[in-house]
Formats: sequence, structure tokens, C-alpha cells
Amino acid sequence: MSNKLEMAVLALFCASAGVAQDVPIEGRVNINLGKDSPVALVSMSTGDSHSSARGAALVLDLHMSLTLRNTVSSSIHGVALRVVSQEVAVGGKGSVSIPSLNIGPGESFPVRIDMQLMRPTQLTGGPLVDVNLDGVLFADLSCYGPDRLNSCRTLTAWDMEAQRDRAHFKHVLAQAGPNGLRQAMIESISRQSERPQLDVRVTRVNPVTSAAAAAFGPANREKFAFLEFPDSPLQPSRGWTQIAGNEARQPHIEVLNRSAQTIKYVELGWLVSDPGGQQYLAASLPASDPSLYLPAGKTASVEQDTILRFTRRGQPVNIQGAVGFVSRVQFADGKLWVPSRADLAQGPLAKVLPPSAEEQRLDDLYVKRGLDALIQELKKY
Amino acid sequence: MKHPNQEILALHAGGDLGRIARWRTERHLARCADCSEEVARFGQLRQDLPRLADAPELHWSRLAAEMKANIRLGLAAGECVRAEEPAGAGRMWPGARIGVALASAAVLLATSVVLEHPGPAVSRETGVVVQATADGVQVREGGQALGLMHSGAGKEAVTYQVGAQGSVEARYVDTETGYVTVNKVDVE
Repeated sequence: MSNKLEMAVLALFCASAGVAQDVPIEGRVNINLGKDSPVALVSMSTGDSHSSARGAALVLDLHMSLTLRNTVSSSIHGVALRVVSQEVAVGGKGSVSIPSLNIGPGESFPVRIDMQLMRPTQLTGGPLVDVNLDGVLFADLSCYGPDRLNSCRTLTAWDMEAQRDRAHFKHVLAQAGPNGLRQAMIESISRQSERPQLDVRVTRVNPVTSAAAAAFGPANREKFAFLEFPDSPLQPSRGWTQIAGNEARQPHIEVLNRSAQTIKYVELGWLVSDPGGQQYLAASLPASDPSLYLPAGKTASVEQDTILRFTRRGQPVNIQGAVGFVSRVQFADGKLWVPSRADLAQGPLAKVLPPSAEEQRLDDLYVKRGLDALIQELKKY
Repeated sequence: MKHPNQEILALHAGGDLGRIARWRTERHLARCADCSEEVARFGQLRQDLPRLADAPELHWSRLAAEMKANIRLGLAAGECVRAEEPAGAGRMWPGARIGVALASAAVLLATSVVLEHPGPAVSRETGVVVQATADGVQVREGGQALGLMHSGAGKEAVTYQVGAQGSVEARYVDTETGYVTVNKVDVE
């Protein structure tokens, strides 16, 4: 009796000293593709998902590997999945998108989702994660999905950029041959590796209660300068933001619709400089009004009430200056405008803008499989 | 080029790696400026640690000693009470004293584990924060966080883009699937 009791206490002792545990994942991930979905779930694995204690918090590392199959007669060019957790009541959501696809009818493709959830207490017994199909883009730029995250617009813009960049590299190949294409790829990879980047943290706060609000005032107001794209349907006229040290808040830009069509979505790019004059892409600046309606010849404001904090390697970076440019426009009929490569080559943009998803894919293809594989890939389109 | 993880670099900075691991890490550092810089930062951090030790803090060893003393006091008090009890009252649980001692030690150890481990970072902001982390993008509020990790790519191969409305996305070519993958977190 005595020995049994001591063993039980010892077991309790060992259990309480443990800092890692397994959380059963099976049956706790909901995959919702929709009843009439153009993709079907072929398989799902949760691999080496595990949980561990970090201080008083519980951290769950969830590794999901899905295989989806195209069940319709059109080629799929992009997929977006919305990822939410009922367990972690954080005021945000996630998404995993795969652009630059070319999945024919009946073909399958893998999607990997690696998530980390952190909460201060133990998990309860409900579903851990819900993965919902949000959008599927087809080769003809038609789109399927509940589109709660505006995935159709984003996937379409990525696909237009992909067409633009493939056309550019095909043109280089036709004009300068394989050596010219090789040179273009080397320049693209070099540009990416040299592109200056800042770490940016975005906080949405109540401006009335935020202590940070006190640091800002009219004296910190910085006016925007604008880069002009001749073919842009939108003309930024004036704008400003508030800057103090390494923080910027409340960017505000007024834009004029100079096209003949009504516009329903606009997005601008925003550059900042450090004290040494080095420019960086700070953020994209989408219109805050989800029901924007901007007829031809009319003006509208693009603004956001967030605070952006800039750091590099953990150290604050003081910023100054603000330069804006039009990066995406959607018309009332759903069609999109994206800048041309000539637009993006002007001024500082060539050095500070990241490559498109397609250029990133082609660069990777060139690095891993060589010039011949890249040429074969370009010939598919 | 595969980079050593943060733990390896931190151990190397402190001279705590084994011979083979140290040789491999040094070979990598000779060719990688980023990792060399990271090691230098860890080295600097080690130099700063003595200064941090001067900061006011809880004395864990003293706290533990006090807790042990309280346990001993409790056991001694139990002995006093038991001495006045009728004979045979304590014979029902002959291992109870050992059990109490072990349970107390378990509570002490569990408390130490909880207190010694740093808790999740508490932001000075009161709102929802979105940011890129060492291996992903994260939306965080209070002690809770949802992150999407780019396990299939090193940070240098990832393109980050921020949305001023409150979003951060990480774009990379997944080494397993070969597809461009875009992980994004948004403030709702």
C-alpha cells in the first residue's frame, strides 16, 4: 500500500515537471471546400504536429499537408484558403494562397499549411482550425469562391502580373536569345538579393486611448510626393502621413479617377527613407472603404488608421519622407489595372519593389533546374 | 546554402558547441556574412548580460529556500499535532509523510518551472498587432497569437509585404511543393 502510494506520487511529480505534451490533432481540423467546389480533397496529413509549453502559454505547431484535385474542365491558375482558429480568440485571420499555378483538369496538387497557435491556457475539445476554400482562379480569369477575403481580386492581379512578366521574359528570349534570358535572370536574382528591407509591425489601435497618439501632432505631418505612371487610370493629387521617429501613422492620400470608367478599388504603394537616404517599400495602402464607388472625373480619399513601426535587425530605424504610387486599380466591371514593367522600372521602384510571384517562381526555376527548364516553362504559355 | 539555426549560433557564440558542431559552424560562418553577424550579436548580448544581472529581480534561490522552510515547518507542525493524537490514528497511511514531502517538492518544482520560463512577450500596444517573425507571419492580441510559418524556406528567400490596413504577407517558393506560397495574416 505504502509503495503504491509513493509510486503514484512519484508519477504525479514527473507529470507535473513535464513541459511538453501531445494534443490529438485527428478530427480537430475542419476542411471546408464547399459543395460545388472545383477542387476536391484527395488526402490530408497532419504530420508531426505537436504542442509544447512556453512559460504559462501553450504553443501548438500544426503542420498540414493537403492534396487537392481539379475536378472541373478548366485549368486552375490560383487557389486561396482562409484559415481561422476558434481556439485562439485573436482579432485576426490568416490565409494561404498559391498563385502561378497551371493545374489541368483531373490533375492534383499539394498545399502545405504550417500554423502556430499560442494561447495562455489549455486547449479545449472543439475544432482547432477551420480551413475554408476562399477562391479559385481559372485560366480565363473567372473565379469561384465565397471570396470573403477578396481572394478573387488578389489572385486575378497576381495572374495579370504573371502574364506581364512571362511576356517580358519571352520577349527577352526572342530578342536576345538564351544568353540574353540568362542575363535577365541573373539581374532579377541580383536585384532581389540587394533589395533593402525593413521589418514593419502594424498595430490597429484606438487613437483616443493610445499612449502613442500623444507622440504625434501637426508638426510631424509629412507630405507625400508621387511617382506618375502615364497609363494609370488614377491620379494621386495630394496626401500626408504623420511621422515620429520610427513610427508612421494615418496615411491619407486623395486620388482622382482620370479614366472613363467607374473605379471600385484602389491600392497605392508607399515608400519611406532612412536618414541616410536609402528608400524602402513601407507598405501597400488600400482604400479603407469596402464599398468605394469612384465615377470618372471624381476624387476620393485613401486612408488607414494604423501605426507602422519600422525596425532593422531589432533596432528602430528613423524614417522620413513619403513617396506614393498607384499599384492596383479595379473597375466596377471587375477588370483590373496593374502597372507595366516600364512603370515599375522608373525612379527608385526598380530597386525597392519585390518581384512578382511569377518572377520569383521563374527565378527559382532557373536557379534549381537551369536555363533549358526555364525556356521550356516559358514555352508552355 | 543551409544556415545553422538560432540555437546553434547562440551556442557557438558562447563556445558551448561540441568539437564537430563547432567545426561545421565555423566552416559555414567563413562563407556567410549574415550568420557571422548573428553570432556577433549573440556575443554582444552575452557581454551585456552582467549588466542586466544588476537589474532588480526576484531571488529564486531565496524564494525556494523560504518555500522549503515553510514545508519543513508544516511537517514539524504536523508531527506536533500527531503526537497529541490517539495511538493508531496515523497508521492508516504509513507512506503519507513521504507522499506529502514529494507532493510539496512537485509543487515547488512546477512553480519554479512556470516562474523561471519567460512568458509570452507582452506588447505595450493594446490593440491587435501583425508582424513578421523569425519564421513566419503572426497576428497577436494579448497572450494569444495565430501564425503562419514558412517552414519550407529560409528567411532570406522570403519576400515580405505589409498592408497599412493591418496585414503582413510572406511570399516564398515552397521547397517541398515547388509552388509559390503566400501566407498572410490580417487584422479583422
